[in-house]
Amino acid sequence: MPEPSAAPRTGAGMLRQTIRRQGRRLLLAYPLIIAWQLGEALTPVVIGLVVDHGIAGDDLGPFLLWLGVLAALMAGFSLAYRFGGRLGFRSVQEESHTLREEIGGHVLDPRGADTDQLPGEVLSLATADANMTGIVVRQFGFALGSLTAVVVIGVWLLWTDWVIGVLVMLGMPLTVALTQLLAPAVARRTTSQQATIARAAGVASDLMAGLRPLKGVHGEDVAAGRYARASLDAQRASITMARSWGVLSGVSSGLSTLFLGIVAAVAGIRALDDAITLGQFIAVVGVAQYLAEPIVALGELTAQAAASLASGARISRFLHTPPLVPEGPVELNTPADRLTVEELDLTVKGGDLVTIVSDDPAFDAALIDTLHGTRPGGGRVLLGEHELSALSIASRRTSMLVVDHGADLFEGTVLDAMDPDRALSSEQLDVVLDASAAHDVIAAHEDGLDHHLRASGGTLSGGQRQRLVLARSLAADRPVLVLHDPTSAVDAVTEQRIAAGLRSVRAGRATLVLSSSPALLDASDHVVVVRAGRVADRGTHRDLLARDDTYREAVIR
Amino acid sequence: MSRAILPIADRRTTTRHAWALLRSHRGPLTVSVLLFAVVGFAGIVPPFVLGSIVDVVNSGDGTAREVLTRSAIIVGAAIVGAVATTGSAVLLAQAANPALARLREEVLDRALHQDTERLEAAGTGDLMSRVGDDVRQISESLDNAIPEFVRAGVAIAFTAIGLFALDWRLALAGLLAAPFYVFALRWYLPRSAPFYRRERIAQGERAEALVAGVHGAATLRALGREAGARGRIHHHSRATLSQAVQVFALLTRLFGRINFAEWVGLTAVLTTGFLLVRADAITIGAATAAALYFHRLFNPIGAVLMIFDQIQSSGASLARLVGVLELPSPTPEQPHEGSPVVRLDGVSHRYGDGPEVVRDVDLEIAPGEHVALVGSTGAGKSTLAAIVAGHVEPCSGERDVRGRLTLVSQDVHVFAATVRDNITLAAAGLDDDGVWAAMRTARCAEWVGGLPNGLDTRVGHLGHPLTTAQGQQLALARLAAHDPQIVVLDEATAEAGSSGARLLDDAAHAVIAGRSALIVAHRLSQAREADRILVMEHGRIVEAGTHDALVAAGGHYAELWEAWSAPTLAD
Repeated sequence: MPEPSAAPRTGAGMLRQTIRRQGRRLLLAYPLIIAWQLGEALTPVVIGLVVDHGIAGDDLGPFLLWLGVLAALMAGFSLAYRFGGRLGFRSVQEESHTLREEIGGHVLDPRGADTDQLPGEVLSLATADANMTGIVVRQFGFALGSLTAVVVIGVWLLWTDWVIGVLVMLGMPLTVALTQLLAPAVARRTTSQQATIARAAGVASDLMAGLRPLKGVHGEDVAAGRYARASLDAQRASITMARSWGVLSGVSSGLSTLFLGIVAAVAGIRALDDAITLGQFIAVVGVAQYLAEPIVALGELTAQAAASLASGARISRFLHTPPLVPEGPVELNTPADRLTVEELDLTVKGGDLVTIVSDDPAFDAALIDTLHGTRPGGGRVLLGEHELSALSIASRRTSMLVVDHGADLFEGTVLDAMDPDRALSSEQLDVVLDASAAHDVIAAHEDGLDHHLRASGGTLSGGQRQRLVLARSLAADRPVLVLHDPTSAVDAVTEQRIAAGLRSVRAGRATLVLSSSPALLDASDHVVVVRAGRVADRGTHRDLLARDDTYREAVIR
Repeated sequence: MSRAILPIADRRTTTRHAWALLRSHRGPLTVSVLLFAVVGFAGIVPPFVLGSIVDVVNSGDGTAREVLTRSAIIVGAAIVGAVATTGSAVLLAQAANPALARLREEVLDRALHQDTERLEAAGTGDLMSRVGDDVRQISESLDNAIPEFVRAGVAIAFTAIGLFALDWRLALAGLLAAPFYVFALRWYLPRSAPFYRRERIAQGERAEALVAGVHGAATLRALGREAGARGRIHHHSRATLSQAVQVFALLTRLFGRINFAEWVGLTAVLTTGFLLVRADAITIGAATAAALYFHRLFNPIGAVLMIFDQIQSSGASLARLVGVLELPSPTPEQPHEGSPVVRLDGVSHRYGDGPEVVRDVDLEIAPGEHVALVGSTGAGKSTLAAIVAGHVEPCSGERDVRGRLTLVSQDVHVFAATVRDNITLAAAGLDDDGVWAAMRTARCAEWVGGLPNGLDTRVGHLGHPLTTAQGQQLALARLAAHDPQIVVLDEATAEAGSSGARLLDDAAHAVIAGRSALIVAHRLSQAREADRILVMEHGRIVEAGTHDALVAAGGHYAELWEAWSAPTLAD
């Protein structure tokens, strides 16, 4: 893993990176695109040649020859576009795909990412913003083509008539520059529009994530109303943005036509003064007409580029959000098999099954976060001899698995969930399924282990999900296992089976459980009682039952 | 993929909706189209004026004044064009954006009202990509297509008139290109349609992979399985890319065919010109002008043809939005006067073609009665609860449930919003006093009062962190705010974990007081307090009675109770 994200720090950097990354394709694409544009521009010239040499000559031979040249020119620029356009399009797509992977990779970095975005916002970042950033390839291409045209035409005009040449060479940049006055406002509104769209997506994804609780209270209408509010914000921002774009394109097309009028007036007077010939006058106004296109294109380009810049900056900022879990330098050769939590004066060795009973959910949550490494300052934790924060993520992983209470199930078969690498024998799978009483979840479906689970478990009940999560944790078979209330949604009889199963499957390995289930407590070698965040008592479940009334009160139901 | 995504509308339905959508914004749209036409006119003024300046210069006795007045017309066209461009763009945005915003809102609204099961089968990504990617696609098409189409239409009309005015034979020669344009489109449209359709579906899968990855990041990290999720994002992003690249390759081939049609027309005009000049029927100037006029048609005709591609592409997206809108609209909860009724008669259910999970269950809950549903995990209790709550339509049997009903399940979700918004989700108009009352009932007024901004504190994802128990207390407060006659609690207190169980049980007890309740419970202390206990095994109700009676009967419940209340494992 590269230490800080390798992504550029600014929007401009992101756009430069795009051009750099797609450089090899673009090196081929841009000349082809320019060739296509030149071919299109040359078509009227060749038409003139057909007329001059063919029709005017009244001779079939030259006429057919120049018709052939016209055919060759059109076939040529058509093919140039076909391949140049494909390469350009591919560059845009490849770049947004790469950005998407980087965004996904950042969220799914082994160290995690401390981002401030809802899942829907990340989605918007990985689709809308990634496309917007990639599209700079097209803008850059247009700019290149337009500038080429402008330079070629400018040189030709200077050569034809210096007055008109100077007029155009000064007027063009001035016209483009005037439109630039509007560009920052357009860019600002584009940025805020993108943000409101992303926010609406964030609201939608959050509502979908809470679909069940939502439907439980018939909150659909209120929820839809909340999305509608976010959508309305996005709509308003879109209209504001469109207004500023409208002004920009009105101004840039107006200025370019105005420019044409001025050139026509000056050139007309120059022609009347015989400073240029009629033929040159026709060519000059023809060229000036053609110039309108690049003027408008260049004028709007900066605003488009500014939108890409904003998207690039959003992605860059996201990719630079810090990791959730700071990684340490120590690599373990052999996995650690012992967990020490100093604030509880507790060490869980291989073979130990220890349960912590606390009276405060916040304590449990904090302890789990500390073990995940996401709560720096949460007291010293050792894996083997090393402090947790000193260890590499890989070493932590080979040593310990911390299972949250609300651990997710993912789309895929049951077997994918249990054993994605197909590393376990069917006997081993049997053992963990048995220990977690998950056999009947699987037996309930004809396709057994191949049964397809939906995202977050779908139609499974809470108890079924919990048992699959437990089976998955046991199948991972790490030397140290931490479970947070693994049996809260299963019935007491099953809970007893699980307690016994856990003991036998985890024999010889270190297991720490947070629970107040008597079955799990009784199966434990050692119980730590935490009250108000401090160790209040410790011993075996039966000893504690016998001597600690508060304990008895807390766990007997 | 075998995912059961939400429906996609057929072409006819989509077209019908598209027309309705356009009609509903007909005012601003018409004005916008007219303004685009003005832009088109303003665009053809300069070439004509330039022609007349050429005449002035050519006449030999032209004056600077004549040149300047004509140039002034171009300047006038510039101003008119600028104003019309701005006005038309703004009007189009004012018509299109609200239309699209309403569309995505209606889609989300309709989707939220569908069965949970249906939505979960489709996946969050499917819906997210419809209200996101697809709306964006349509918006981009509208922004480009309408102005292009109108401007091109004006340009084509005037140029064609000019061509006919020049010489009808030359104009007819140009018409030779028409069939080739048609061939090009007829070649392209049927080929590209399936790509667009597949691309949009692939976008849905891509969104699903991204959302699932972001959502499950913590679990994936703990298990060390991020690589798999990254792989899925890669796979689906690539799949979308592949469709997009293929359809673009087709598009460039369409351009090639359009270029061919242009060549055919141009060659025909030039050849006719050659023959007519030879026959002295026209001047060389006319032949030249005709060829240049025809050349000036290239871009606008190309633009008009591109409209068909845009329609096809945005049509593929619109079909996905309309598909959701065509889903049955929800039947509003029937207001019910008097005592609540809960009655199931011979109800059975299976998911899809899976095994039967509820078998022939009869159930009746008297007004105000608290019935506990217990049994081994996997016995079908959650499904039965969902049937009572109306979230699952049973495969067979009669369900008669009348009265305001709330279901709180073990799926804890704190919405990314303020505490107040989390509660008022269940009761839109509730004032702060009502919110606080609901909190007090759910025993969470105290800690909410201690939050940095009280009711205005943002909680949920990225908000002020809450424990699972606190999250579920908010769910119970939401229930109290909803003030139902019937409550279904499906392990509502299980996810809180052991340390928060007592408090939550108290809160649950308080919120169901005075209401009919079905309580699915593993915590048998909860069952014990119920008026009646039903024991479920393998989808059937196998025992029923009060706690004392069932314990005395020595059946399955007695066994569960024994296990539950035992302070230690059996030796």
